[in-house]
Amino acid sequence: MSDFDLTTIYFILSESMGGWLWGFVALALLLLAAIVAGIMTLRKNDTPARRPLVAALVAGLVTTIIFTFLVPIWTLAGAGALAAPIDVLFAVLFALVPGGVVGSAVFVIMAFASNRRVAAIA
Amino acid sequence: MERRQFLVGAAALASVGLGTEAAQAQTSDSRARVVIAGAGAAGLALASRLRRSMPNATITIIDAKKEHHFQPGFTLVGAGIWSPAQVTEQNVDYIPRGVEWVEAAVAEFDPDANGVVTTTGQRIDYDFLLVATGLNLNYEAIEGMDVSLIGRDGIASIYAGPEQANASATAIDRFIEAGGVGLFGRPAGEMKCAGAPLKITFITDDKARSRGRRGAVELVYNAHNPAVFSVAPVNDKVTEMFAGRDIAVNYSHVLKAIDPGAKQATYATESGDITLDYDFIHVVPPMRAPNAVLASPLPWQDGALAADGWIEADKATLRHPRYPNVFAVGDIAGVPRGKTAASVKWQVPVVVDNLVAETAGRSPQAVYNGYTSCPMVTGIGKAMLIEFDYDGNLIPSFPFIDPLKELWVSWLIEEKGLLGAYRAMLRGRA
Ligand SMILES: Cc1cc2nc3c(=O)[nH]c(=O)nc-3n(C[C@H](O)[C@H](O)[C@H](O)COP(=O)(O)OP(=O)(O)OC[C@H]3O[C@@H](n4cnc5c(N)ncnc54)[C@H](O)[C@@H]3O)c2cc1C
Repeated sequence: MSDFDLTTIYFILSESMGGWLWGFVALALLLLAAIVAGIMTLRKNDTPARRPLVAALVAGLVTTIIFTFLVPIWTLAGAGALAAPIDVLFAVLFALVPGGVVGSAVFVIMAFASNRRVAAIA
Repeated sequence: MERRQFLVGAAALASVGLGTEAAQAQTSDSRARVVIAGAGAAGLALASRLRRSMPNATITIIDAKKEHHFQPGFTLVGAGIWSPAQVTEQNVDYIPRGVEWVEAAVAEFDPDANGVVTTTGQRIDYDFLLVATGLNLNYEAIEGMDVSLIGRDGIASIYAGPEQANASATAIDRFIEAGGVGLFGRPAGEMKCAGAPLKITFITDDKARSRGRRGAVELVYNAHNPAVFSVAPVNDKVTEMFAGRDIAVNYSHVLKAIDPGAKQATYATESGDITLDYDFIHVVPPMRAPNAVLASPLPWQDGALAADGWIEADKATLRHPRYPNVFAVGDIAGVPRGKTAASVKWQVPVVVDNLVAETAGRSPQAVYNGYTSCPMVTGIGKAMLIEFDYDGNLIPSFPFIDPLKELWVSWLIEEKGLLGAYRAMLRGRA
């Protein structure tokens, strides 16, 4: 696998996922834009980022833990298929995808919610 | 050959004239006529790579088959967890633009006159011939056996095709439900994916256990020689696992006849023929070169690889020693080991790089080390990612994956990774 470079990985992913690959890329970009917008909103309202950050981390962590046990099922294996630390590591890496999505979503929602709070106080 | 030598010379002069060694490194301006026999894993991968690296060459691919099968997936169809549709695609979707597809089989190879004749009577001349016809499954060599029997009377065989693999899955399930004796094994000669007969044995064991029916089935693996696998550390590991899973092994048992009515299988052994009763049998047929190759001057003329018609080839370059403008790639190549799609992934760049170098007037350097891989599925959800070379050395691609350990991550590669990697290979991108 000496030629297992980024281009090869791209083509393997593209052949494996088809149109879904671009769906995921679009979702990632959307979330990134939303996170940036969320940070800017927090700055504008002069609201500390601690609460949305902690909530995002907790939500992301819980989702990652749940999905770590669901990933083997996605591969048609039983939930107890993780036999070694390397298995768990890879399952966690995959589970980080939904974990990241949920965490980002929670951060963005809470950041924008600060708008409403500021408006209510005003 | 004269035209080929002229083309090589002309390209060499052109490359000297342009003086762009670096630009020539990956491509060749040669106008050579390249014929590829067979549009399977190797043929399509060759066509895709050659199209990009020899843009001026005339590339013709010859194959009558329209459907393309992802054969490594047959094991998962046989396990009952993939459908035949998941391993069935169309060749037309993978033939690169600018490559002519002749929808016929090669009926005659005429390497002395640098031409092939198709089943439709068309003669196609070439400067270079790449033979990638795969192999023939010779079910008829087992007395009493026929492909139409697969799925009936306890007979399974995941090799024959997706529908047969699917019928095999049903036969395995019926066997586990009814109980009895299950026989497994492999043929004596060279075969593609020598791990698959072991995988289906493990899968049957695993399914029986998960359904609480292991006590009702007796599993027997009939090895063709004194080992269950040709690579020593893998053999030791599988032997140990078979013992641990109560899978009996008979050594030096080669299936020669089957009586579906009486449910009896006859094996040639060192002490004469032995007949065993069965309730279920997984048949792996003897394999040999397709007839057109067998009837040609291309196969080895003597030695262990001659009888079944494997094409004579240098094991490092896959080049024919008697016909230097002919290469054998994939299952048809008469080299030790290397009959897997994973081997094709490593063979194709070697042949293409050397062909490009030669037609560009440089000396061919690429070498194939016999890379063969077989994710050894040992149950639903676990596998060992076994990779080895000509010398039987384990050569793991991922240092963090122990090749002799049953892991889910190896299963992940088998179940989620291989099909995408295979398709990328067909497009010349992996
Ligand atoms: C059950 C099973 C499990 C497997 N598991 C694995 C695995 O886990 N990993 C792995 O890497 N590999 C595996 N393989 C092996 C792998 O699929 C083959 O090694 C690979 O497909 C070989 O590629 P090929 O191009 O040489 O032959 P093929 O892909 O078989 O293609 C040969 C092509 O040549 C054509 N042809 C035949 N005769 C002629 C002719 N006279 N003229 C023109 N065309 C002709 C055929 O129609 C076919 O399209 C498995 C195979 C099977 C059956």
